Amino acid sequence: MSLELIRDILVATVPLLLIFPTLFAFTTWLERKALARIQNRIGPNKVGVPLTRYGGRFSLFGLGQPMADGIKMLFKENIVPRDADRLFHLLAPILALIPAMLVLCFLPIDFPWINNIQDSVKAFMLDGAVIFFFAITGLNTLAVFMAGWASRNKYSLLGGMRAIAQMVSYEIPLVLSAVIVVMMVGSLNAAEIANAQAGWNWFVFTPWGLAAFIIFFIAALAETNRSPFDLPEAESEIIAGYFTEYSGFKFALFFLGEYIAMFAISGLAVTLFLGGGAGPGVAALPWLSVIWFLVKIFALIAIMIWLRGTLPRLRVDQLMGFAWKFLLPLSILNIFIAGSALHLLAGGRLAGLDEKQPILRQLMEGANPLVVAGLWIGALLILYVAANGLNQLSRAKVRPREYKYAE
Amino acid sequence: MSEQIAFWILSAIAVLGALVAVRKRNLIHGVFALMIFFAALSGLFLLLLAEFIAAVQILVYIGAVGILLLFAIMLTERVAGDDGRRMTSRGWFWGLVVAAAVFVVLLLPAIQQWPTPEVTQAPDPSVEELGHKLMNPYVMTLEVLALLLTAALIGAVTAAQGIRKPKEEGSPE
Repeated sequence: MSLELIRDILVATVPLLLIFPTLFAFTTWLERKALARIQNRIGPNKVGVPLTRYGGRFSLFGLGQPMADGIKMLFKENIVPRDADRLFHLLAPILALIPAMLVLCFLPIDFPWINNIQDSVKAFMLDGAVIFFFAITGLNTLAVFMAGWASRNKYSLLGGMRAIAQMVSYEIPLVLSAVIVVMMVGSLNAAEIANAQAGWNWFVFTPWGLAAFIIFFIAALAETNRSPFDLPEAESEIIAGYFTEYSGFKFALFFLGEYIAMFAISGLAVTLFLGGGAGPGVAALPWLSVIWFLVKIFALIAIMIWLRGTLPRLRVDQLMGFAWKFLLPLSILNIFIAGSALHLLAGGRLAGLDEKQPILRQLMEGANPLVVAGLWIGALLILYVAANGLNQLSRAKVRPREYKYAE
Repeated sequence: MSEQIAFWILSAIAVLGALVAVRKRNLIHGVFALMIFFAALSGLFLLLLAEFIAAVQILVYIGAVGILLLFAIMLTERVAGDDGRRMTSRGWFWGLVVAAAVFVVLLLPAIQQWPTPEVTQAPDPSVEELGHKLMNPYVMTLEVLALLLTAALIGAVTAAQGIRKPKEEGSPE
């Protein structure tokens, strides 16, 4: 292996391993602060710049809190239950982190330093980058199950089982809504998908793209066990679910893995629907695209935090019903709508398209504005009516509650 | 050179994973060892520049088959999986013979063209080519398969649900 290749691999990967954990630290602070403000508290505000005598003087809104948390986690005792499967108990948090870190390299972020390295090292240039992304994020489920099973604790096991059921169910609408984008671009290459949305041609601005984005975002919340889909770690029901028996740095690893997974899935949402690094000023200053990408990721994370502070947790049957009876039919219908719309836009030109160019852009070039407007309104109407109808159909029948074990 | 190193490392992991999967008495350990085997296999596919098969290997075998196995184990009574019962091992000799025969038959194409020619560029069925093939000549096959799988899925749900009692006992999911 040549030295250049090793250098290129390091250049492509090491910055990701530095940037995202740093952002994770900042996000934990952001989340605590935002939740506190939502609940009319102040949140962490004491820990300031380290090594200054009076941290309070330079407290910087408590920005030192993540560092203090990290140090605390490092020094905490590592407790393994007596009956636990020691090997799996150790491996689970590591396995939770690896897939999350791995998929970061499929995000087409144009860091300035990756322009000088060869294309074969850039994972997002793979022809099947999006498939790889979904394949590897699916491994998260295993870590959760491993943790739940290895702890030998019934709450852990319940949490693990809940997590598997939830993640397997919500993976389907997640992938099906990504299919819409693949149809509009005609490629699974993450970089090509992002480039197809240059300027303001973001796919979220098409009706089917908007619906797919909303479905994707909901499913992503469930995939990352975020509230209101945090049943696997529901404190009031099963303590902390699958990581009940974890302490110290293993707990921190779970935490880190969860947040990195949030970054990754938000990054994919940005790539697929929100134009990747596209934004005002990118044409003049290329490095702005990195900033825009991260800003969009943080916008999605902020929405996640906001939802966590606002929504109550779902019930298990609601969770399953919502995935199978609402999201799945809607995303399949959405695929049909997108397909028909592309077909109508093409009007018999589909065979003559250039394969190397994004499909939607080619179709839009020669399209009649009236037809486009009609399609947009029609698709939105159909989707709205379908969502409403499915909502009526899938709503769980509410019966008077029966208490089996209490009077 | 680096490909060789990667090949041997991945192969060692695959063989070890497969061995552990067969030998482990603990079912859950066995399933995870099997997944390690699948992952190493996916790495080998990547080494052969077959990236689509590598991704599908992870997606289908680890993501779907593995999880299904875990589910199946959780539904059986021996959740812990590590009881002392021994498996009977009569007829292991003939089993070994059959396994060796299958192995040789699988290797036949490779043996016939020994020494194997060196391949440097990506094989023809790239992701793009596969997509074109699936969407153009084989689209009917794809649709029929999809229909078949959907029918199987609905059939499984119907079979699992059993005959509904007239008095509906609510058991959501």
